Amino acid sequence: MLSARFCWRNASRSCQVYRNSHSIPQQLNSIVHDGRTEPGKSTDAPGSLSGKTVAVKDNIVTKDLPTTAASRILTGYVSSFDATVVQLLRQHGAIISAKTNLDEFGMGSHSQHSHAGAVLSPFSRGGVPLSPGGSSGGSAVAVATGQCWAALGTDTGGSVRLPAAYTGIVGFKPSYGLVSRRGVIQYANSLDTQDPTSLSATVRERLGHKGADAKRLRIGVPIEYNIDELSPVVRATYLRTLKALQNAGHILQPVSLPTTQQALSAYYVLAPAEASSNLAKYDGIRYGYRTPGSDASPKNNSPLYASTRGEGFGEEVQRRILLGAYTLSSEAIDNYFIQAQKVRRLVQRDFDKVFAQPNPLLDRQTGAHGDDGGVEVLLTPTAPTLPPTIEEVKQQSPVESYMNDVFTVPASLAGLPAISVPVRINGKEADGLEGTDVHDVGMQLVGQFGNDELVLQAAEVVVQSLTSS
Amino acid sequence: MTAPSNPTLRLQYRQLYQNSLRYSLLGTCLTHRPALWNQVRKSHTAITADPVPLRKQLKDEARRKKAEKKASPKSSKTLDPRLSRWELTVGLEIHAELNTACKLFSPAATSLNAEPNSHVALFDAAFPGTQPQFQKATLIPALRAALAFGCEVQRKSSWDRKHYFYQDQPNGYQITQYYEPFARGGTLTLTQLDGIETSDCPEVTVGIKQIQLEQDTAKTILQPPSTYLLDFNRVGTPLIEIITLPQIHSPTTASACVRKIQSLLRAVDACVVGMEMGGLRCDVNVSVRERGTTAEGLSEYAGVKGLGTRTEIKNLSSFKAVENAILAERDRQIAVLESGGEIEGETRGWTIGQTETVRLRGKEGEVDYRYMPDPDLGPLIIGQDLVDHLKDTLPMLPDETAERVVNEYGISAKDARTLISLDDGDRLEYTEAVVETVMQRLASLPEKQSFDKVGKVVADWVLHELGGLLTTAGVPWETQTVTPERLADIIVHLQTNQITGNTAKKLLAHYASLQPVAEAAIPSVSKIIDTSGLRLVPLTEGEYIEMAQKVMAENPDMVKAVREKGQKGKIMWFVGQMMRRGEEGRVEAEKARSYVERLLEV
Repeated sequence: MLSARFCWRNASRSCQVYRNSHSIPQQLNSIVHDGRTEPGKSTDAPGSLSGKTVAVKDNIVTKDLPTTAASRILTGYVSSFDATVVQLLRQHGAIISAKTNLDEFGMGSHSQHSHAGAVLSPFSRGGVPLSPGGSSGGSAVAVATGQCWAALGTDTGGSVRLPAAYTGIVGFKPSYGLVSRRGVIQYANSLDTQDPTSLSATVRERLGHKGADAKRLRIGVPIEYNIDELSPVVRATYLRTLKALQNAGHILQPVSLPTTQQALSAYYVLAPAEASSNLAKYDGIRYGYRTPGSDASPKNNSPLYASTRGEGFGEEVQRRILLGAYTLSSEAIDNYFIQAQKVRRLVQRDFDKVFAQPNPLLDRQTGAHGDDGGVEVLLTPTAPTLPPTIEEVKQQSPVESYMNDVFTVPASLAGLPAISVPVRINGKEADGLEGTDVHDVGMQLVGQFGNDELVLQAAEVVVQSLTSS
Repeated sequence: MTAPSNPTLRLQYRQLYQNSLRYSLLGTCLTHRPALWNQVRKSHTAITADPVPLRKQLKDEARRKKAEKKASPKSSKTLDPRLSRWELTVGLEIHAELNTACKLFSPAATSLNAEPNSHVALFDAAFPGTQPQFQKATLIPALRAALAFGCEVQRKSSWDRKHYFYQDQPNGYQITQYYEPFARGGTLTLTQLDGIETSDCPEVTVGIKQIQLEQDTAKTILQPPSTYLLDFNRVGTPLIEIITLPQIHSPTTASACVRKIQSLLRAVDACVVGMEMGGLRCDVNVSVRERGTTAEGLSEYAGVKGLGTRTEIKNLSSFKAVENAILAERDRQIAVLESGGEIEGETRGWTIGQTETVRLRGKEGEVDYRYMPDPDLGPLIIGQDLVDHLKDTLPMLPDETAERVVNEYGISAKDARTLISLDDGDRLEYTEAVVETVMQRLASLPEKQSFDKVGKVVADWVLHELGGLLTTAGVPWETQTVTPERLADIIVHLQTNQITGNTAKKLLAHYASLQPVAEAAIPSVSKIIDTSGLRLVPLTEGEYIEMAQKVMAENPDMVKAVREKGQKGKIMWFVGQMMRRGEEGRVEAEKARSYVERLLEV
């Protein structure tokens, strides 16, 4: 997981959306620690972000505010250092205004699994609040309701892009390794981001050349994303977006990413495996929550720390720890963890085959198509449907709720830059949609590793094409 | 390692921690300076034209020792008749702390006896959001160790997490190299001089399966009855784990192997803290099989086939414990098998002073370590240039040094080993300096001198005479005052019969007892000899005869015994009498004997 930057370019428009809805921010439970109430805070530090308020997901450590990752196990924890991303924001004059709510340790797609209570979307259907998406739901709602200028989230399998799509705002996940992960509480590190200085000189050099013209993009349309589960409104918006781009002179090209179907399963093997490892450090000895009395319970002969961990972790976190512990066990690792790693490699290879630019991380040039074959970005919906209500989420089995990540997980597995931009639902598409419902569908753009700038440009292109058409 | 089954843990780490956690600012790692003799060795690269092979010499010594052992039947302790039926097999896993300035994945300093929790980086204590930073300098001693065992250094290796819950491991996992270790496939040859079992003589070769880098754990200090204090200074200290093939068949040889591994690691400066200080720990895998059985149906480990089911004895912390634990476990397994039982693959423990190993946990209680590649760490790529450089600059290994010393100076293999093992090689360097000087002085003399025994004589003087004086006086080697030139002077005088052995010893004692003063103020050897009238003036023929006749006249019974009963052994008694009566050092035994024999007409 870790530091995917939430780049909310359309924040002001989203605030207007919020004014049409009927909830008040305080009831949405998006903030877990409010920094603005703290006295003696400088509000006018110089810099390009001077005076701008930035909310930070509560799994990113801060010196001045507690960091709990929405878990009981980190009750009262205050870090002795700022995460690198927080340091950078402060250096450029930003005000860290709040720590935002999330799914405990980033594990969830609807921000409902939090020790601080569930996050609610400002939008609703039939009087029932919608899911804000997860796990960075608190950050998304804070931006969508104008509680901050922008917010940081983290994206392990879609945790920034999905909430952005569900709340009608912009969410950006950079290439794996482009933004420092230092100070981000680990969930599944291999899917998260890192300091760019750790990349080798060769890779950085390869990142240098762009070779794409945003005025005439070759856009890939993956046929595997056209699934039956795609809801009519999402499909219609997607088609309209593609058409607008074509009308604006961009080239659409169907591409195939055959491993897409296996990607979600692989993700839900790998991420819990890493989570079970990363969360082993929470034992109540050095910080955080600790069970009263002895922790090597003589009552039922349970192992060391069983009480602390049993009481400190929520249900979904325990589920994923158990899942991960199993898939790493000597009897299961060959069938699960190793297979999932192979799938992951195939997913990456799929992407390398369709992009015009070769993957700068690979020494061998795999299947780059050159001028005629390859595409520069892929365009897909961010999620197959509009957000479910929180009542519907409650009815879902864990596996059903994992389905929300089906479109976001492949880019995570391959470490690619991806952005979700809101596209307004239009005319007939909005038939039957209540006024309180969300009126945007998230569209996802994915680029080759290191092409973050191009992905951001392509997002602007999408917005402009729709405005002019 | 798992939690003790049921103790009430009250971990009082917080109090201990809050006041004393500091962050080391050490940015770089420094390797320690090589031992003195390593720096010197380059001046001794010449190989003598006709070297006596060390192996041959070792074999001869082994044969001699064997004969000695047969002569004295006291060492019959392990002659168990059951051993003719059952064969023991042992493999070793040795964990050794690397000689580095900083930890494996944090810039915090390594320490031995520092104030608890004074060298702990945030990552070492597993604080949320912290990440490992591999410290490249830790590779240097690790690679030296690998090269010392002739291992093949892998260009690419990787890091894995080994999971288990225990309070001495803050992250809940240890970072190790389970899937891809950095070094594979070395060997270690042990000889009689290394103290192997007689039946393994003249030598035994043990394969090294692999060497891997990994992290050490915290120290747990039990405060009875139920409080554990944690000192995280040791967390993350770099270790190497050396895994041997199961190619050892005696407890004595196993312990000799551990000892030799320690001495090799020391010699190349890879590990400086020995077993006695906890710098080296050993797990042993023990199995027995019936001799003459085929591999069918038996276990296999790393390509070694036909093994019995093995048990593992963990955490042995002395050479003696290694030997005794294996001995006890061997006997237990044989007893189980002879009574028709089966050996269960399990983990057992050993307590010093016990006679039996104790079952800790069986296979079903075995921890599943859930090994996983560490997603925070990329692969470790080691360049051939670094490996080549370290190979070129690797200090000579003890066996090679011994061979060189034996060949160049004629010092016995045993004395060579002893010299190498003392004072970090300083004693050997000193001995070599003395030998060189003595040889130069002898060569410059007009009469032709024999050089054959110089090495042996010098080694004797350094080890036994000087060594004895220092031990008696309680003077450590570093502060002793006899320079190599002085000792060489004394030995040259002795070798050329200018002084007696007794005089030489007295001179040595004199120089050894000096307080450190300016070199110029110390009188030279020849000056003391002359001013104190110590120079040996040989007796004349007349003086010898006169003395012999006097002794004979005073002891007619002895004369009779020789002349009439032919008891020639008594001749030496006369020699002894003459030596005693003569002025100190002037009577030479050989000459005295010839005169006595002449006068007694034998």
